[in-house]
Amino acid sequence: MKCAFCGHEFDEKEARQGCGACPGGCHSVHCPKCNYSNPLEAKLIRKIRSLFTRNDDQGGDGA
Amino acid sequence: MASCCANQTEVSNRGDTLKRVVLVGNPNVGKSVLFNALTGAYVTVSNYPGTSVEVSRGNATIQGRSWQVIDTPGMYSIHTITEEERVAREIILHETPDVVLHVLDARNLERMLAMTIQLIEAGLPVILVVNIMDEAERMGLKIDLNLLQERLGIPVIGAATARKRGLDQIRSALASYASGKEGAAPMQFPYASPLERNVQEVVGLMKGEYILSRRALAILLLQRDEEIVSLVREREGEGYAAIAAKVASISFERRESFHLDLSLERNSMVRNLVKGAFVAPDTRVVTWSEHLSRWAVNPLTGVPLLLLVLYFGLYRFVGDFGAGTLVDLLENRLFMERFNPWITGWVKEIVPWEIIQELFVGEYGIITLGIRYAVGIILPIVATFFIFFSFLEDTGYFPRLALLVDRVFKRFGMTGRAVIPMVLGFGCDTMATMVTRTLETVRERVIATILLSLAIPCSAQLGVIIALLSKAPGALAVWGGCLMLLFVVVGLLATRVLPGDAPMFYMELPPMRLPQVSNVLTKTYTRMQWYFLEILPLFVLASVLLWLGKVTGFFEKAVDAMTPLMASLGLPRETAVAFIFGFFRRDYGAAGLYDLQTKGLMDARQLTVAAVTLTLFIPCVAQFLIMKKERGWKVAGAIGLFVSCLAFGSGYLLNQVLLITGLLT
Repeated sequence: MKCAFCGHEFDEKEARQGCGACPGGCHSVHCPKCNYSNPLEAKLIRKIRSLFTRNDDQGGDGA
Repeated sequence: MASCCANQTEVSNRGDTLKRVVLVGNPNVGKSVLFNALTGAYVTVSNYPGTSVEVSRGNATIQGRSWQVIDTPGMYSIHTITEEERVAREIILHETPDVVLHVLDARNLERMLAMTIQLIEAGLPVILVVNIMDEAERMGLKIDLNLLQERLGIPVIGAATARKRGLDQIRSALASYASGKEGAAPMQFPYASPLERNVQEVVGLMKGEYILSRRALAILLLQRDEEIVSLVREREGEGYAAIAAKVASISFERRESFHLDLSLERNSMVRNLVKGAFVAPDTRVVTWSEHLSRWAVNPLTGVPLLLLVLYFGLYRFVGDFGAGTLVDLLENRLFMERFNPWITGWVKEIVPWEIIQELFVGEYGIITLGIRYAVGIILPIVATFFIFFSFLEDTGYFPRLALLVDRVFKRFGMTGRAVIPMVLGFGCDTMATMVTRTLETVRERVIATILLSLAIPCSAQLGVIIALLSKAPGALAVWGGCLMLLFVVVGLLATRVLPGDAPMFYMELPPMRLPQVSNVLTKTYTRMQWYFLEILPLFVLASVLLWLGKVTGFFEKAVDAMTPLMASLGLPRETAVAFIFGFFRRDYGAAGLYDLQTKGLMDARQLTVAAVTLTLFIPCVAQFLIMKKERGWKVAGAIGLFVSCLAFGSGYLLNQVLLITGLLT
């Protein structure tokens, strides 16, 4: 993902997660460069996005 | 070449099953993204032995063959300077890669190709990944990858790994290397004759077996690379004395010119490589986004631009549309006119006990107060605020704002970096307080925490207060002026009272761009989802506590106890209720004020005094707990006490000033 503040591109896994104080788990990914708190994509959005991504990949392979 | 033979021997010793690929390149070129794309979930991250530098390793199966993928720290050259670069080179030197993937940024191709030449010169099996091609294309840069491949003699792949572009080609190129079908031999890059002669003289004396080519090692010896000196001394044994003497003699002969000559030669090689293969637009067109970027950071144009952003974004969109139109629709038309009468009637019908009826649909009922506040008032306000916030975030305006305010913030003992928590504070002060840990000095962190808990209202509170005050002419200006004045005064005082120096601030500016609607909506949805999930249980809990307080008579006593304080601020007794709500959450208190206003209980002066006091008032429970976690009990307690006293003191003074001057009457 790309940090919404400094534009640094990073993987969510390498980023430090939020403080964990939010009820229901953490909802932010902190940029490893500037520590800006980026929103962690909602599960629903992620599912929708992965649906489209998978279709794209298949299309690409097939083509 | 000896190095290649050595390499092959070690590879075959390791067996044919597990191949090894090492990712190298400058920092921020997308190595980690590529690493994760290749390896998926099977990753271990550990410190490189004897260092604090982290190295990621993972496994991948590419066309039926197992690979170990190693992600190295960023490096600019094989001639190392930093610890990260040393670790990256150690990995190349000791982990015998079957393939080295050199990832570079297409936008800075010319600057980064020098390292590709070094890697080829070192006899390593290199694949060049020209990454971030999408951005380069957007900038109008044209890169002829085939021509580059021909000139370098290694596979060259155009990619945009963040968009998953080029991944299949990278996998295919790796598979070709593994099966020995890597194609033509890499090109040789000879230097001009005096330099080339010096390199060959040293190479001629070397007899040992190395992973890197003798040519590359000879250059590193001439660059006085200490680790390479130790390595060559160890491998050459008695023959090292002659090499050392030759290196010393060349160094004496060339004095300081070696590094300069080498650098000039490599620049010339890169220029020849990219000639016709890398084309930038003829005329440098200054785009609208670049104009806007310049205006945003220049104080003369940046401040008016900021005011425009605040006026249209906060006042008109969040205040007028969100807190006005949408709240009216949900709160008045839906809840007050339709839903509340219906649910009240229904609950009273099925629940015979008045006390339980009160819990759900009474004055402080879970449904008629808690859910109404959360859905009818807070939800539309945070939704519009988050749309505005996400839009601004995606334009790249915030880092420019950081640069713009850097000079002002320095007067408060902070740098422009403190804009990050300040901006986040307008979303949620709790999250922002946590982010203050990223500021360089303890002093800066404490100042930022004080200002956040004092003068930065969270999104919902801000929206409700803007909606409240925009109906009274001048009230919004008085409220904004008071907050700004206190921000400045407390900031200036803090920087004098707290010891220490202001740190330096430096940051790169990402390009300004028009945000994608889908991205803005996605972010808004995500932020709203967690916000709503966070506030709804708290609003329900607060309603239950208020109901308990009412049932036991405690609430009435608390209101009675606060009445003299409210009177000293020139506020009606009922305002105490909003302040008690404010103990639970800032936005709950603001929603309480909104309720009082719609009942016509306050005039413009009282509204302004109440809004200023409530905005400055102690942070919500969650923010206080984070303050305690980040700064400790003593500092958090002192800030809480200071902010509360200042809030009521300011409210009192403001009321007196408004009464004497007759403003807002």
